[in-house]
Amino acid sequence: MKKWSPSFFIGFTFILIWELCFYFEILSESLFPPPHLVLKVIFDSPQEWFESFLQTSTGSVLGFSLSLIIGVIAAFLFSLSDFLKKSFLPLAIFFQTVPIIAIAPLLVIYFGFGMPTVVAASFIVSFFPVLASFLLGLENIDQDKLELFKLYRATIWQTLIKLRLPSSFVSLYSGLKVAAGLSIIGAVAGEFVAGGGLGALIDEARTQQRVDRVFAALLLLSILGLTGLGFLKLIFKYIHQIRPFGENSKEFK
Amino acid sequence: MKTIIALLLFVTITHAEIQLALNWKAEPQFGGFYKALLNKDFPLKIIEGGSGTPTIQMLTFGKIDLAIVSAEEILISNEKNPKNQVVALFAVFQTNPQVLITKKERELKSIKEILMTPGIISAQSGLTYVQYLKNKYPDSKAKWVPYNGGITGLVQTQNYAQQGFLTSEPLLAKKQGLSVASFLISEEGFNPYTTVVAIRKTDLKTKKLEILQGIKSFKKGWIEYLNNPQSTNEYMAGINKSIDFDGFQKSALAQKSLILDPSNPSGVHSVGQMSVDRWRSLIQTLIDLKVLKKTLDPQDQFYNSESL
Repeated sequence: MKKWSPSFFIGFTFILIWELCFYFEILSESLFPPPHLVLKVIFDSPQEWFESFLQTSTGSVLGFSLSLIIGVIAAFLFSLSDFLKKSFLPLAIFFQTVPIIAIAPLLVIYFGFGMPTVVAASFIVSFFPVLASFLLGLENIDQDKLELFKLYRATIWQTLIKLRLPSSFVSLYSGLKVAAGLSIIGAVAGEFVAGGGLGALIDEARTQQRVDRVFAALLLLSILGLTGLGFLKLIFKYIHQIRPFGENSKEFK
Repeated sequence: MKTIIALLLFVTITHAEIQLALNWKAEPQFGGFYKALLNKDFPLKIIEGGSGTPTIQMLTFGKIDLAIVSAEEILISNEKNPKNQVVALFAVFQTNPQVLITKKERELKSIKEILMTPGIISAQSGLTYVQYLKNKYPDSKAKWVPYNGGITGLVQTQNYAQQGFLTSEPLLAKKQGLSVASFLISEEGFNPYTTVVAIRKTDLKTKKLEILQGIKSFKKGWIEYLNNPQSTNEYMAGINKSIDFDGFQKSALAQKSLILDPSNPSGVHSVGQMSVDRWRSLIQTLIDLKVLKKTLDPQDQFYNSESL
């Protein structure tokens, strides 16, 4: 609880100032709707918000999972072969640099309206952080330990599993944290063009000048992001308890 | 020194430009405004917009002087912002140019048939006319999906219909060799003024002389543009390279009948004018659709420029 209290204090102060600004008419309600009105919007039609929240969650979790699987496999392969790395890494960088807003309309043409486009958009923006961070972890290993593995004639597979993988634990975790947030952004961008979820609600609300609904969607997206990060931390903490790979990291203590 | 400062201030004040923010790129739907710009009898500066530019909110909160909006945007904004009211000054389209278009080979004869036939309708979510049509045809068999610009979906997908402007997408489709049928939303009974110049009510009071000069300039610009759009189209084609000059000419021709009010005997000289009855009717429609929660005074929503 002690660890969380600064965040709660900052959050509470921020909300209080926001509400006071509304009360004293410093901020316009139609541009910065106060938190209580944003909550009211959600509680006025909870079913609609819940269904949209669920759709965006599904899209972002699927996109994130795809990034995790493909990113981890690609990083494994790149760490084993310089040829593969030099051949395919520039292509992977494409995923990092491509502006999702520009290619999202094309994704609809490739994958159609609905979930497949949302998952594809989510994957495209969250793939690179997983690959880059995991690859960095796999390559950034203690040279003395590597010499020891060579001395004992460890196979490439043994070196990968027993040395490279444990040493990449913290770095993978950092990459996944970034990817978790990006997967939500990608899913929302996908929903703008493919429909459904909180993205479609934001798009609709913008047209109708319903800033309160935009803020309500943003609030739910923040909750989704925080929940994702919380789950990620729990999983990594659990792994750390069984096998303390990230022994120097404060994150898991 | 004081004289120089006073002189500089005078020059700055007298040359202060009035900014008109468009909600899209330079196209024939703004032709008369560009003509007014070229005429230079009013210190006008036109700022192009893009997809989703929130011109009504930029206007309401004082980021720009004048904005191109739709009539329903004005009403929604005025209900939400009673302290920052905006007013319509000049309405370009007397007939709403928004259409649903679909391939001719589907042999559909009306918007009703598009909605009652299984297929896809691509339209920007949240548009008032989408709500209107959903409300009018609750048993619609077509699925509404987001609109992502252009006509790619129409070209590639079967049983597809999409939003458009009569002066734009149907012409683009024709250019690409696609045979399409276009149906005006206004024929379904939803006909708000479109491409409307709006201003903050406070500015209308404090800058009345400049604004009157502006309306006169817009009116003159539009009359000249409707009579001879060529030189202005050449100018706009230089700014917006996505449409060629021929496209500008065809679009200008297509929009003429939508800009002129067929019931008004003054013909081209009635351009830009609005009536209280149409504002009243729109307010009622938006209340029926639950877009507006309360009624608004139609007289307060526009500036009557008939005397000009």
